[in-house]
Amino acid sequence: MTHPRKWLIPTLYILFLMLPIYGLLAMSFKTTGEILGGFSFFPQQFTLANYKVIFTDPTWYNGYINSIIYVVINTVISVSVALPAAYAFSRYRFLGDKHLFFWLLTNRMAPPAVFALPFFQLYSAIGLFDTHIAVALAHCLFNIPLTVWILEGFMSGIPKELDETAYLDGYSFPRFFIRIFIPTIAAGIGVAMFFCFMYSWVELLLAKTLTSVDAKPIAATMTRTASSSGYELGLLAAAGSLTILPGAVVIYFVRNYIAKGFALGRV
Amino acid sequence: MAEIRFKNVQHAYPPPKGQKPVYALKEVNQIWEDGGAYALLGPSGCGKTTLLNTISGLLTPSEGEIYFDDQEVTHLPTSDRRIAQVFQFPVVYDTMTVFDNLAFPLRNRGMDETAVKQRVAQIAEMLDLTANLNKRASGLTADGKQKISLGRGLVRSDVNAILFDEPLTVIDPHLKWQLRSKLKELHQQTGVTMIYVTHDQVEALTFADKVVVMYDGAVVQVGTPVELFNRPKHKFVGYFIGSPGMNFLPCKLDRGQPVFHNNLLNTSYPVGNDLSGRTEVGVRPEFVEFTDDGIPVVIDKIEDLGRYQVVTVKHESEVIKMVVDEDQQIPTDNPKIQFNPDMTRIYCDDWLVGGGQNE
Repeated sequence: MTHPRKWLIPTLYILFLMLPIYGLLAMSFKTTGEILGGFSFFPQQFTLANYKVIFTDPTWYNGYINSIIYVVINTVISVSVALPAAYAFSRYRFLGDKHLFFWLLTNRMAPPAVFALPFFQLYSAIGLFDTHIAVALAHCLFNIPLTVWILEGFMSGIPKELDETAYLDGYSFPRFFIRIFIPTIAAGIGVAMFFCFMYSWVELLLAKTLTSVDAKPIAATMTRTASSSGYELGLLAAAGSLTILPGAVVIYFVRNYIAKGFALGRV
Repeated sequence: MAEIRFKNVQHAYPPPKGQKPVYALKEVNQIWEDGGAYALLGPSGCGKTTLLNTISGLLTPSEGEIYFDDQEVTHLPTSDRRIAQVFQFPVVYDTMTVFDNLAFPLRNRGMDETAVKQRVAQIAEMLDLTANLNKRASGLTADGKQKISLGRGLVRSDVNAILFDEPLTVIDPHLKWQLRSKLKELHQQTGVTMIYVTHDQVEALTFADKVVVMYDGAVVQVGTPVELFNRPKHKFVGYFIGSPGMNFLPCKLDRGQPVFHNNLLNTSYPVGNDLSGRTEVGVRPEFVEFTDDGIPVVIDKIEDLGRYQVVTVKHESEVIKMVVDEDQQIPTDNPKIQFNPDMTRIYCDDWLVGGGQNE
């Protein structure tokens, strides 16, 4: 069925979704005075000063660096731990495998707030408080189960005859796993990494609880709405706009694989 | 190349909780001669694939030993066995080109690149893959991919045996026929042992010099296609091979000769009278004829299959099938049938008994 105005509804929907993002972007180019002064759809006094502050003031740009560091550490840990685990779940039958697999998923059912206090105590006790690795490890609690779940779906889509053929062709298990299996499920790894990134990037509570200065994430920096110089709404808007960027870049790379993940019912 | 010997090989898969293990392979003692073309025939789930996987080492049997010539290989890993295996569904390395797929087993064995090129070209030529050599393997159709799988199995010349696990299932019928004759041709050229698993009797009988029939985890008969047809050792072989399958009728014995519903039948292979168990007489539909004198029957159904007709007749409640030439008249008035005594055999508890077992 083709209708001359079939573009109308999606367009309205997208406009509706984009409106707050546009508002944020527009604000980031305004001065705080203008934002507080009243509503205007376009910046009256266009300024890049907000961005300039973020890129020059270490308390701001360090927030980004800290976030990126623990997100990357977390993604690497999650995927490298989940790869062998997912392989085991997809290829072997062992006592309680199905229960264990389900239990992994239930890890995601508790809100992060539940873990904030015990983590805080634990990391303080062993001297990991306010380090990147602390946040990365804390996020593993949620990301490893998710990654195992996603990767298991992709791996089960590969027939076990591929493994067997590689052995017949003279490959040992480790060589097969690294040289053939990992490239074959590259799409799945991409999707899993994307979700690790996404979760770790947006998670605020644990990241904020486990850091104070040295590893303070950008989202925590952004909760500081007022400083000695009063409200800095323009600055916050600029920081917010920049926070959206990495997600947009990452999703661009995995956009074709995400659909496959959905089809497998694992995303 | 080597002779492959099975000594009391048994295998049971781990059973579901609280159940006794079920044997997928039962006491297989089998010698696969070097250079033979074998077909492993049997219904789905009879243990064919399990047997194949124990040869290639993908599965370690729970009991028994396997030898390649004099070397025991029961616990040797797959990569050290020099066995090629082709599976039912295509397996390709998606990330590589067709050429790299075919070259993969050779390169892994350290063959030098010019020899690899030559060998791959040869196999690609045989399988009609030359035009696709530089394409990505993932872009091919299912039968194209299966040809790659086949090619990868055939490309090595140093293997002990090539195992085919119903390799032509996904291939078009006309191509199937072509590839099967190519395999046969290759077997004659190279003389490498080939074991071909199938549940299609035509495929088995055309490919193999020797057919190994499996039933419920056990090897019930090994023989040439003719032997299997003429002298099935087990009722299952009689049913499974030939179309329609063999007739089996309950009988009593009188001085070694079978008696079917008070009709004394003649067989060239009488048995001693001291059989205990369920006795049956078996005869193929091809060896039942209409005669003036014999067992009175009622005609139930006539199917014209072109070059011959299959006639289903009944005596009492027993159904007998017979194969009759297309131009032969079917008698309508009190039809009577007789069995060819040279082709009439006696079975006791499903196994062939009586003389003529080892002619």
